[in-house]
Amino acid sequence: MTQTTPASKAMQPGGTGEQMILLEGVQKWFDDFQALRGIDLAVGRREVVVVLGPSGSGKSTLIRCINRLEKHDGGRIVVDGIELSDDLRNISEIRRELGMVFQQFNLFPHRTVLDNVTLAPRQVRRRPRAEARKAAMEMLERVRIPEQAHKYPGQLSGGQQQRAAIARALAMEPKIMLFDEPTSALDPEMIKEVLETMEELAESGMTMIVVSHEMGFARAVADRMVFMADGEIVEVGTPDHFFENPQEERTKQFLSQIL
Amino acid sequence: MTSIRVDTLEPLPGREEPPRRHVPPGRWLRENLFSTWYNSVLTVLFAALLGLLLYRVGRFVFVDGRWEIIERNLRLLLVFRFPDDALWRLWTAMYVLAGTFGLAAGAAATVRRAEVAAGRARPIGGRFLPLRRVAPVVVLAAVLLWLAGSVGATLLVAGAAAVAVLGRLAGTLLPRRYAKWTAVLALVGLAAAFGIVIGLGGVSPRTWGGLLLTIYLAIGGIAISFPLGVLLALGRRSSLPAVRVVCVTYIEIIRGVPLITVLFVGYLIIGFTLPPGTPTPSVVTRAMIGIILFTAAYVAEIVRGGLQSVPRGQYEAAQALGLSPVKTTWLIVLPQALRAVIPAMVGQFISLFKDTSLVFIIGLTELLGVADLITKQREFTAQGLIFETLLFVSLLYWVGSYSMSRESQRLERRLGVGER
Repeated sequence: MTQTTPASKAMQPGGTGEQMILLEGVQKWFDDFQALRGIDLAVGRREVVVVLGPSGSGKSTLIRCINRLEKHDGGRIVVDGIELSDDLRNISEIRRELGMVFQQFNLFPHRTVLDNVTLAPRQVRRRPRAEARKAAMEMLERVRIPEQAHKYPGQLSGGQQQRAAIARALAMEPKIMLFDEPTSALDPEMIKEVLETMEELAESGMTMIVVSHEMGFARAVADRMVFMADGEIVEVGTPDHFFENPQEERTKQFLSQIL
Repeated sequence: MTSIRVDTLEPLPGREEPPRRHVPPGRWLRENLFSTWYNSVLTVLFAALLGLLLYRVGRFVFVDGRWEIIERNLRLLLVFRFPDDALWRLWTAMYVLAGTFGLAAGAAATVRRAEVAAGRARPIGGRFLPLRRVAPVVVLAAVLLWLAGSVGATLLVAGAAAVAVLGRLAGTLLPRRYAKWTAVLALVGLAAAFGIVIGLGGVSPRTWGGLLLTIYLAIGGIAISFPLGVLLALGRRSSLPAVRVVCVTYIEIIRGVPLITVLFVGYLIIGFTLPPGTPTPSVVTRAMIGIILFTAAYVAEIVRGGLQSVPRGQYEAAQALGLSPVKTTWLIVLPQALRAVIPAMVGQFISLFKDTSLVFIIGLTELLGVADLITKQREFTAQGLIFETLLFVSLLYWVGSYSMSRESQRLERRLGVGER
């Protein structure tokens, strides 16, 4: 067995080796189109996995299945020991473990940044108001926009909005963070501030799955990289392996296009 | 290495302020009204027509009009056959409304000012804004008091105005954390006003008429059709097929039928649909139910449009944070959806306000009904006084509709906080 067999590497969790997310044979169909063709992947605690691949390869669908924004049609998804099923209680329990950051930020425009961050802790975790605000301010300081707390999202720059969205997700104290192309909607000069925030988060030991084409970020932060195409995992490896010595033809081709 | 001169980044002289064009009136006239020979002809022609129209209307209002029909019947037009010994209830209700709404307006203004000061909201601009807002009501009050020619009524209205002004002042002094309760207080005031008029030996709405009945039907109709419409809109998007089918059927049937039919059918069958033994509701209540059922269907479709305008990402973000579907709808989706449909919604309510005149079909005498009635009184009959009456009634309707429209524009800007 060669070391580049996708399955072998995909199913060995990195980080501390303790398994946080397990995907086994995950399939997803949109009508007649199969978006995921049996995905196997294990992610370990404190591990950062960067997923890349051409448009339409199923990267976003993959992480959207993990927190049930899309329902998978086959295989198993286990998050921190809880298997994702149709049981609503399971779904909300799993969502509590997962923070999600979207390409389009999806902040709530009718609420201030602070309200955006405190909303879920207060409504879902039933934190008292004062406590939620204090925690939210800490989060906003962590992403370095405490001075924007009382503004509305529409008054912030794209980079600030994305950092607010990260603070909002962190306020729920998730064990795992999912990032769906977090810098794709940003102007170039704002990408850096968001990536820095994410790097700090990775250094703090957060388990992360990041769909991104930011190669500098991947090289600096990723423990493993996953290359997807046509709904399948084509190649898995460390950043070094990926950039210096990719094995698969499709990986080489893709990297030559984006590097 | 080339060095870049940074001084070019300084603001250019004279560019700190946006350029403002000042056009002298003479040039404005030449540019806009008399730029070519045919424009000049049109200008003169329309000026003449406009002048003639204003002259005729002015002459009618101030010289030819025989306003005694209104003077003599003012009481009927406003409150119809409301008993004398209960009039104090209407005045008290007026004072309660003046006080609570004044307080709420004051508190809202303070919150607004703080938001503007914090850079979170733009000031609601416009010269003479307070004037434009209050002027129609003041003019109407002046017209009514002039027609009434009663010192007592003038003093009472002046007192209510004073209470409103004082309330507004008190509202601005209130600590900000009470601000949102003043809005609740205003609603309580509204309910209390109806309570004062109706409750504890008061006057049942089944005997009401004139402007009082119009306002009662309009406020009741708006207050109940709004939440009902929102529920129908949510029901139409429900994941439960049974709920969806019921809502769609209801909406499509009601929207396919004229209001006058709904009123008439409601008048005839509401009594039968209630369980035996329950007293049949009064005609006024049946009219109100008809108006509510009718308007709710339209409100539902307006709200549905608003719900569709909320991007999918908002639902997904709320879901990803673990908010339940109910909380997602209530805290995230509805506030955005409703804000987006304020103009259409207010249009519907203005329409409802004027459509209350259709309740004549089931024998009620609201404002327009009284207007029709008084032209048939023996002393005024066959004297062609219908213009005076209709002009007066139009003024009342217009002030009501215009106020709703203005307030909705304010609400829109106020809720547009921080959005680009």
